[in-house]
This record gives sequence, structure tokens and C-alpha cells, in this order.
Amino acid sequence: MMEKMIFGRFIPGDSFVHQLDPRSKLIFTFIFVVIVFLANNVATYGLLLIFTLFVILISRIRLYFLINGLKPVIILVIFTFLIHILFTREGDVLLNLGFLEVYEGGLRQGIFISIRFVVLVFVTTILTLTTSPISITDGLEVLLNPLKKFKLPIHELALMMSIALRFIPTLMDETDKIMKAQMARGSDLGAGPIKDRIKAVVPLLVPLFVSAFKRAEDLATAMEVRGYRGGEGRTRYRQLKWDAKDTTCIFALVLMTALLVFFRS
Amino acid sequence: MRNQKLLWMVEIAIFAAIGYVLDQLKFSIWAQGGSVSLVMLPIILIAIRWGLSAGLMTGLIVGLLNMTINPYIVHWAQALLDYVFAFTFVGFAAIVRKQVLDGVSGNRKNKIALFVIIGTIIGGLLRFICHTLAGAIFFKEYAGDQNAWIYSIGYNGSYMVPAIILTAVAAVLIFTASPRLIKKEN
Repeated sequence: MMEKMIFGRFIPGDSFVHQLDPRSKLIFTFIFVVIVFLANNVATYGLLLIFTLFVILISRIRLYFLINGLKPVIILVIFTFLIHILFTREGDVLLNLGFLEVYEGGLRQGIFISIRFVVLVFVTTILTLTTSPISITDGLEVLLNPLKKFKLPIHELALMMSIALRFIPTLMDETDKIMKAQMARGSDLGAGPIKDRIKAVVPLLVPLFVSAFKRAEDLATAMEVRGYRGGEGRTRYRQLKWDAKDTTCIFALVLMTALLVFFRS
Repeated sequence: MRNQKLLWMVEIAIFAAIGYVLDQLKFSIWAQGGSVSLVMLPIILIAIRWGLSAGLMTGLIVGLLNMTINPYIVHWAQALLDYVFAFTFVGFAAIVRKQVLDGVSGNRKNKIALFVIIGTIIGGLLRFICHTLAGAIFFKEYAGDQNAWIYSIGYNGSYMVPAIILTAVAAVLIFTASPRLIKKEN
């Protein structure tokens, strides 16, 4: 059951996109998600598509990984495409099968919406393929820093995220170990009627939770004896560095936004 | 004396991680699977053990973990609802905290069970509402506004209803079997 679990999609590399600072990639992705909705005609959707293909190219990610990211949502893409084909009645009739009429507007809308969908999934997939979760967290911490003014515990949030990310593989191993231990005692987690399967969850989760509390206590003690006192004046092990590449990336995004605004109808 | 604030942070972080792990471990009880998982269980556990703010924080971190590790974003509002609010709101299960802890002190398993179920339903429904709103935004933007709400309720209900039932049953079994999990020793 656990073999299928892969933690995250990050693939290390040294392409232009890999080398970008997580902050610039996050800003890029956030703004991209918004400006995609500016597109409303052939020129603007074409621009989006070309721009995304260019990003894919310079990220030097194998297409296989991108397609993999698309897999879980491909049904939704097909669904929305079909809805437009079937129900949007604008423009000339392109195809008439008696029971089914496909309109030019429907086909166009269907293609536009599919492009928007695919482009969004690709860009967010590229972010996670080229940036490790821990750098995303570091980037988010800096970007969310202004929220500290509203007394939101941003430093604590980022620290908890880092701890959680650090413990996910450990806890996966542990879950696996406990499952095997219970199976060795004759508990069958994957079979039987629903009632039995849910009951089998108790001897799996109780030891997992108990040992997690133990771990938490040990970690809290370790942090305390090392003098952890919260965010003020803490220095960082992983330093973020903004350089010309990041400025270029943001500049490209601004240019893209300007083009979309200019060419949209 | 133990630094409670530090323990608060670390327990939240580790249980959010458990939430993520349990979310990966989908129980193949229903043929189509969906996202029927026990991801809400650790959030509810922390909500009852530490209170509302801890519950909300655990949920928020589970959502952010999902968003940083494996995001599906089709609209900015959908991202906010699906990844930030949906999981955070599961922490509102803390509303039943006092009653559950009373049940634990008095060793009344029926009371524990009843209020754990109520808490799970509250947290689960709030999450369901967020996913449904996010889905409606998606269907409105992508499929035209034909029956956006019906699609969304149907799609999200198909996994949220079983997930709430599964979580409630598991929570009752676990919390009545070992109440020490939800009651902090001081």
C-alpha cells in the first residue's frame, strides 16, 4: 500500500528555472494564475500557450513529468471541453449530426477553456517540479512577512511547515512499519467487509499517534535546550538570494501582462 | 517547567504531517476512491486536545502542505478555498472540546462518542462547503454557469460524505479506546 507513496514531485536540476529564487517563482505563479483570466481571444490564448511552452523549455523538464501532473485532472478537462461543445450555441453550425449540433463558438470556447486549464496546471506543476517544498516554505515565509503587522504568527507558521515537511518521510516509514507489524500479528488491513477494515484502523493509528506525541515532546525538549526563543533575531541556515535572473523573470511576467492587456478584446 | 508554547507548535506540526501522510493512504473502501481519507482525524485530535486555535492552525498547515507539495490550481479563489480555508475550518471541531473532555474526565464513553461525532460533522461540513464553493467557481469559470452548484455538490459530496462518516467512526473508535490521546497531562 505504501510503495505508491512518493513524497512531492520535486526533481533536482540546474536549469534557469531551478536556479530562480523561490520568491520570484512564487510571485510569478501567483500573478500568472490571475493574468491567465485576461485572455479572451485567439491572440491572447496563443500568447499564453507560447509563453508556457517557453517556460517549459527553459525549465528543461521532461514532458513525461508534466503529463503526469495533468493526469488526475484530464477527466475534468475533457468534461469542460464537452460541455462547451454540447451546450454553447454561438456562431455557425460546424457539424450537424441530427441529434447533435456543434457550433463554431462552442468549439472555440472549448479549446480556449482547455488551454487555460492546461496552462495553469503546467505552470503550477513546473513550480513544484523545480522547487523543493522546503524552499517554497522559505519563500512563503518572506512573502507573507507583511502579515506580521496583523499579529499573524508567520515565523511560527513557517517553522511548523518546515517541521512537518521534515517529519513526513519519517512518519510514512513509521506508518509502514506499524502496518507490517500488525499484519504480522494477523490483522488484514486491505480485506474484509468495511466494518472490519475501519476497525483495523485502531491498532494502526493509536501506536502512530502515541509515538508522534513522544516525538513531539523530544523535539520540543531538544529545541528548548538549544535555546529556541522564537522569530526575533534568528539567523537562517538556508539563505535566499535574489539576483538578475529573478528580476528578468518578473520583468518577463510584467511584459506578458502588458501584452495580454493590449491584445485582449 | 515545560515550555507549553513550544510543545503546542511541535505537536501541531507533527500532527499536520500525519494528516498529510493519512491523506496519501487512501482507504480503498469505495470503488472510485476519490479522496476518501482520514486526513481530518489528526486535525480533530489536535483541536480537541489543545483547543480552537491549535485546531485551525493544524488544518491550515495540512492545507499548505498539500498546496506546496501537490497543488491543483485553476483559479485564485479556488486555490484559497480548496487549500487554505477548507482544511483550516476542520479545526472548528474544537467547538465540542469542553464536552468531550468532560466525557473523558467522567469516563463516559457515550458522551465522548456523541460529541466527537458532532465535532467531526461540524468540521467536515465546513470543509465540504469550502470545496463546494471552490468547485462552483471552477464550474462557473470553466463550464459556463450551467448547474455549477449541482455539479459541485455532486462531485464534492461523492467523497466528502464518505470521508466524514469514515472519520467520525475512526475518531469514535480511537478516542474511546485511548482517551489519553486527547487529554493532555500537565
